[in-house]
Amino acid sequence: MIPPRPNPPQNALRLHRELDRVWGRPPGLRGFLSSVNHSELGLRFMIAAFVFFAVAGMLAMLIRTQLATPGGAFLDTAHYNQIFTMHGSIMMFLFAIPMLEGLGMYLLPKMLGARDLAFPRLSAFGWWCYLFGGAIILLALLAGVAPDGGWFMYTPLSSKTYSPGINADVWLLGITFVEVSAVAAAVEIIVTVLRMRAPGMRLTDMPLMAWYMLGTAAMMLVGFPPLILGSVLLEIERAFGWPFFDVARGGDPLLWQHLFWLFGHPEVYIIFLPAAGAISTILPVMCRTRIMGYGAIVAAVLGLVFLSFGLWVHHMFAVGIPHMALAFFSAASALVAVPTAVQIFAWIGTMWQGRPQMRLPMLHLMGFFSTFVMGGLTGVMLAIVPFNWQAHDTAFVTAHLHYVLIGGFVFPMMAAAVYWLPLFSGCARVKGVGEAAFWLILTGFHGTFLIMHLTGLLGMPRRIDAYPDNPEWILPNLVSSLFGFVMAMGFALFLLDLLLQVVFGSRARRDPWEAGTLEWAMPMPAPSYNIASLPLPGQTALDLARGEGMLPGAPRDRRETLVVEALGGAPRHVAVLPENTLLPVVTAAVIGGFVLLMLFGFYRPAAVALAAIALTAWQWQGFMGCRRDAGPVEVSPGLRLPPNWAVEDGLARTGLVCLLIANGTLFACFLFAVGFLSVIAPNWPAPESGPGTARAAIPAGLLLLSLLAASALARLSLARGASAALLALGAALAAAGLLAAGLDDPTRHARDALRAAGLGYVVLHVGIALMLALLCLVQRRDGRIAPGRVSAWPVWRIWQDYTLATTAVLTGLVAAQEVLS
Amino acid sequence: MSSLAPAGPAAAQIAVLWWAMLAGAVLITLMVLALVWRGFAAPPHPRPGESFWIHGMGLGFSLAVLAAVVGAGIWVGERLQARPDPEAIRVEAIARQWDWRFRQPGPDGRMVETRGRLHIPAGRPVDVVIRSEDVIHSFWVPRLAGKMDALPGRDNLLRIQADAPGLYHGTSAEFSGTGYAGMRFEVLVWPPDDPPDLTAEEAE
Amino acid sequence: MTWPLRALLGPMLWAAAFSAIYAVHGLGCALDWPARPAPVGDLHRFALISLWLASLMGGALILWRMPKAGDAGGRIARAGGWIGFLAILLTLFPVLGLTTCG
Repeated sequence: MIPPRPNPPQNALRLHRELDRVWGRPPGLRGFLSSVNHSELGLRFMIAAFVFFAVAGMLAMLIRTQLATPGGAFLDTAHYNQIFTMHGSIMMFLFAIPMLEGLGMYLLPKMLGARDLAFPRLSAFGWWCYLFGGAIILLALLAGVAPDGGWFMYTPLSSKTYSPGINADVWLLGITFVEVSAVAAAVEIIVTVLRMRAPGMRLTDMPLMAWYMLGTAAMMLVGFPPLILGSVLLEIERAFGWPFFDVARGGDPLLWQHLFWLFGHPEVYIIFLPAAGAISTILPVMCRTRIMGYGAIVAAVLGLVFLSFGLWVHHMFAVGIPHMALAFFSAASALVAVPTAVQIFAWIGTMWQGRPQMRLPMLHLMGFFSTFVMGGLTGVMLAIVPFNWQAHDTAFVTAHLHYVLIGGFVFPMMAAAVYWLPLFSGCARVKGVGEAAFWLILTGFHGTFLIMHLTGLLGMPRRIDAYPDNPEWILPNLVSSLFGFVMAMGFALFLLDLLLQVVFGSRARRDPWEAGTLEWAMPMPAPSYNIASLPLPGQTALDLARGEGMLPGAPRDRRETLVVEALGGAPRHVAVLPENTLLPVVTAAVIGGFVLLMLFGFYRPAAVALAAIALTAWQWQGFMGCRRDAGPVEVSPGLRLPPNWAVEDGLARTGLVCLLIANGTLFACFLFAVGFLSVIAPNWPAPESGPGTARAAIPAGLLLLSLLAASALARLSLARGASAALLALGAALAAAGLLAAGLDDPTRHARDALRAAGLGYVVLHVGIALMLALLCLVQRRDGRIAPGRVSAWPVWRIWQDYTLATTAVLTGLVAAQEVLS
Repeated sequence: MSSLAPAGPAAAQIAVLWWAMLAGAVLITLMVLALVWRGFAAPPHPRPGESFWIHGMGLGFSLAVLAAVVGAGIWVGERLQARPDPEAIRVEAIARQWDWRFRQPGPDGRMVETRGRLHIPAGRPVDVVIRSEDVIHSFWVPRLAGKMDALPGRDNLLRIQADAPGLYHGTSAEFSGTGYAGMRFEVLVWPPDDPPDLTAEEAE
Repeated sequence: MTWPLRALLGPMLWAAAFSAIYAVHGLGCALDWPARPAPVGDLHRFALISLWLASLMGGALILWRMPKAGDAGGRIARAGGWIGFLAILLTLFPVLGLTTCG
């Protein structure tokens, strides 16, 4: 690639004013509701995550107060069960994931030299889904109907028979609502890291944090769908009686465990990786050197991303699975410690080759070393099957998980908060309080959890609320409870330290840690547009502020940033990004309405709410595309690049591919559910299929043919086939309706429930295909699709093919079931 | 109820495994902390490079340790498998919210049902067939063996053996709702020459 | 083929092999394959060991065909190949001797 030439310098203040006008948002409520800016949204995620951490922390104090004495006179059991379930659920879903999302959203565009994330409205939508979903869950806690089945919600305990109240539905619906936000963030992060880097920044030139976030986001795409599927199936079982987990009718409670842990194990690595990214970023700066082993660390991330999906059964070593299968997961669980060890020794090697300075972020990193390593070692112990048979479901596991989560996530996040607060706020530290907070947290933590390993080995199970018959557990529990309060004081002091910095701190100087990295090459606090021009290799912060990089200012009065080719970073086109809009908050609110209707059992109105969601979703396409030729944009002298609506491989297409990876994983999990239940669940085979194969074959054939026709029509250039495709898709829906009418009662047996669910999946996808075909038709009429402008056409085409493929697989599966039975 | 005070061969083997792993974990933790500390306090010249840290320690050291630990674990796991044994007695454990019922052979050979207390002979392998009538529970007697879940719709098998007569405590170890903490039971291990009179106890 | 795609080949082969062997293990226990004789003992063990050896050969082939590592990308791709091969070897070796269905 020929290096682009720098732009001539301009007046930095004038550029700032121009950019701030275009990228900023109005003050007050309207601005708050309509902001799509990644820095503001990233900060909101992190602040909200902190609030949820405090709530869940107070719940932990209630738990420790209850367990401090054996009689358990403080709380009654029903409330205790809600409290420990909420402690775990809030920490995992409403603190850890949003915290790392927020950090990634805030930092990535700055570190990569971009102005924003790939899909600003999606960022805002993710934030509102998190806020509304989290609010529903918190309100349930205040109303005394919080989930109470443990944070992993095992069936049959969480099924309607044994948990008749609304509590379990709050978890299933609320958590799924929040997860929409996580999948959205994952898509954004991948597309941003792959396509929105500074010109010429190859993948191997990226800051390590970008690699870690890329790995994390890929894991989220594949790790969240199993839980989403499981939650949807369990909610359908609870609401409508379709058996997926009910043994008597061909379901299996182990299916829930497999789906949950297929999510649950990668989840903890999703939590750990960004924290490791923070360490790989902060440690070298604290040691005044470069990180040792960039390539080895990237390879370690690759190893972790894949291997962590092969561990999940280690949460199920006591359910009766044969030893050989357990051994696979035991070996994999141990092997995953190797890439972790590679990183730890690379970090120590970095310290040895540099001059480490014990400043406050480094203190927190020492907290990490002294805690996470111990947690990792107890993790290897738990990976050993015979030992697991004793330690599973005891306080030993509670101790282990807090060692790895607090050691491996909370300490690095505290280091990150202290390190990047000057960038977030523009203020410098107030010395002293942070150090005291650190020592209180460290002492309190080890005091609480070290002895808890012994408590578990002495026979104390998890999740009990009283232990009157076991005097040998009194002293260890009392010690844990006392130190728990010390740790809580430490966290309160840490929060105080941050508040002092933001409220009373003096103006921070530029690049306070002398890191020299891109995120520090901008004013502090970071402006709405990050940098006045996009960096070419070797340019300084001053050059960028004067517009000497690419795409300086906002001369065309719209939000522009650069899109590059994924591997080598060659600039490809200019993306015009959306402005402030209320659409994300409105869409999240409509989905929230649907969730509430489902929660309170108003299923018919909920179906209407689905239509409302579709209508609101339709509004999003208004921003897409351009009705006339606008010509290329000059990004630097002699380099003209097309705008995004004039290219085939735009951000939307990359985003759709990522979304389909998540969708495809959900589909693969569904196929796994079918296979698992058919082979392993008791009470199979199912009763005879009612109408029989012959009657279903005709509508099934019609369905496949119409989808085939739609796929063929979608290939006609510039979506010429859109109107004909609408007819084909209408026929597909009619065929699906005929199939639905002929289905056996889904409440009869798991096989029938699975078929009905599969048909539902097909109908959903055909419905979306219909909307996309309609969109293409509308865009052809108004000129957004025309020679030189493809707009939504590639998106429709790819979605249509996906719908055809999945429908074909499902049809084949049902046909095979009928033939083989 | 301590798994560190084993009273049967399974628990004993697991306890040995635990102490060995604890010793290793303590040594490794101290080693890592010492290496970190040395980073601050004038590390040796010439500085070790990537080859030492990443290949030697990150890959070599960790793979060696893990191979040993996993190997030991798999070996013990295989030894704990319940292979066909003419000496073994079969009993049943039926779990439900929130108590345990047991069925064990009585003096005349017929199965007798008891509540909350399982009677087994000392020194002989006992195959416990575990099932649940409602939600998932778990059968666990820490001093004798590891745990095994009780699931609805399928039977799980756990082999336990007690070295000496006595009363051993057990508990369910899978959260099952509001009565979970109280879901305890006992295992009465009787001397081989003095079987209990179960028909009298059954009335409890 | 670009280096990121080459880097993914090994780990993806491991993922496929792990899924296939775990699935065949479950299927074989459900269909009572340990009762059916075959080379190396019974049909269950024969199927599992065959799958494992085939995956190992696939992993070795990926390593052998990996171009010499020149730059950072090439080194990462090569590391990916090793990750795949070692993971197949070290996580699926229990097919060799452990009790199949208990």
